[in-house]
Amino acid sequence: MFENRAIGLALVLPAAIFAAALFLLPVGILLSEAFQTESGWSVSAYGEFFASPRNQTVFFRTLKLASLVAGVSAVIGYAAAFAIVNLPASSRGRMFGLVTLPLMISPVARTYAWLVILGRTGFVNKILVDLGITETPIRILFTETAVFIGLLQLFLPLMIISLVSAMENMPRDAVPAARILGANWLQVFVRVILPLTREGLVIGGTLVFTGSMTAYITPAILGGSKVLMLETLLYQRVTVANDFVSASVIAMILIVMSFSANLLLKRLATARKSR
Amino acid sequence: MNSRLSTWIILGLTLTFLIGPFLIIIAAALSAGNNLAFPPQGLSLKWFIKVFEVESFRASFGVSIFLAIFGTLAALVLGVPAAYAMTRYRVPGAETVKLIVSSPIIVPGIIVGLALLQYLVIPLGVGIGPALFLAHTALILPYAVRVVSASMENLRVDMEEAALLLGCNRFGAFRRIVLPNIRGGVLAAFILGFVTSFNQVPVSLFLSGPGLRTLPIDMIAYMEINYDPSVAALSALLAFMSVGIVFAAERFIGLSRYV
Repeated sequence: MFENRAIGLALVLPAAIFAAALFLLPVGILLSEAFQTESGWSVSAYGEFFASPRNQTVFFRTLKLASLVAGVSAVIGYAAAFAIVNLPASSRGRMFGLVTLPLMISPVARTYAWLVILGRTGFVNKILVDLGITETPIRILFTETAVFIGLLQLFLPLMIISLVSAMENMPRDAVPAARILGANWLQVFVRVILPLTREGLVIGGTLVFTGSMTAYITPAILGGSKVLMLETLLYQRVTVANDFVSASVIAMILIVMSFSANLLLKRLATARKSR
Repeated sequence: MNSRLSTWIILGLTLTFLIGPFLIIIAAALSAGNNLAFPPQGLSLKWFIKVFEVESFRASFGVSIFLAIFGTLAALVLGVPAAYAMTRYRVPGAETVKLIVSSPIIVPGIIVGLALLQYLVIPLGVGIGPALFLAHTALILPYAVRVVSASMENLRVDMEEAALLLGCNRFGAFRRIVLPNIRGGVLAAFILGFVTSFNQVPVSLFLSGPGLRTLPIDMIAYMEINYDPSVAALSALLAFMSVGIVFAAERFIGLSRYV
């Protein structure tokens, strides 16, 4: 550690000023937009926003889909992470690489693939019609199901990564010991694995939940204007109606969500360090 | 149940769900037909060639590459000194500075884009191009600071102090001792920043205009009008590019140690 504070400050300031001026300031002004009315400062815009049935639908749909994606990815994530951790060391790294591979690929490409699969003339419909399960293609695209599938594929790797690293820190003998003592798999999961990996579950869950809440591309491409989520609603309000008040309210909801998730993660990280 | 068998069934299903869609995209891109379909109608490379012939793709690819390279470099120019100061000096208000610098991670990109358009581009007359550049720089800054800080923390301060004792000045010590030792971290930050910027969509949504679009935005615009496999071919090419970059980085500098 060097003591000269002036040099330290001088080195930090350009980055801090850049982020504050070009980032915090404009975003701050945008957030303040909803509090300004003709009669001075007020929170009435929030009341009006939530009074609209359409906005309510979008808000609760976003929460519902994000929770569903987080929940389902936890179930699949536990199975996949447990399988990966129990692989022999040589194939474990390779499997981990394959699971994280999709994270490096453009979300547009990843979402586009589902158009090919779920579209009217897509792969799924072709199979359904060929097998005679339905006579005409069913609509999967532009439904909540399509958005759910897209988000799940986008964020599942984050859950698997968190759970794998949590399971690697689990004492190696914990599961065999519980089995020998007569616990069935459900008991092993609830009493041994879950408590020992709770932190990884919270980290993964938070990443998946906030990721799904703030996703734009997936609901835009797979949901369209039929299945709006908060970000696509924001885009629509601004481009179609020039409605900056709604945009400001949505921005506040998303930032509060994402900020509290970040605080939670930071608290977990420091709790782990001090242990 | 045989536990080895169930292990492979679980992993097989998970990988099919995660990676299968890509294989389908690649197959659809190899189609000889004019409509996006899987299984493909015949085999050809024509859509991979068509991608390079679409004028707007070429232009927007240039924009995206420019933003990814120079936005990341700008973020490093701001971020490396900040990371150095935060790991070496007792900076007053260090926690606040850290929070400010990492704030772009917390705020969703679409909001950043809208805020910059509304309060920088429109009132101050800043062009869309510079605004887009600044937005990408801000977005990469947190990654640059975090990754470089981590590799700076692993470097012992005594080496630098020895250099100072031996008559180096501060900057000389930084250039000769610190920089060569954090090269891997800086490279990792560059690659991470490049891929993040290149794949970024929401921040560029509001910050695009005629003749100035990033590639992902252009792809979305193209597929709203056309239903041919060229976007599939382009997606496949981009996927190969990202995976190739990350794979090479892992191979040569051990990217995952830094991230």
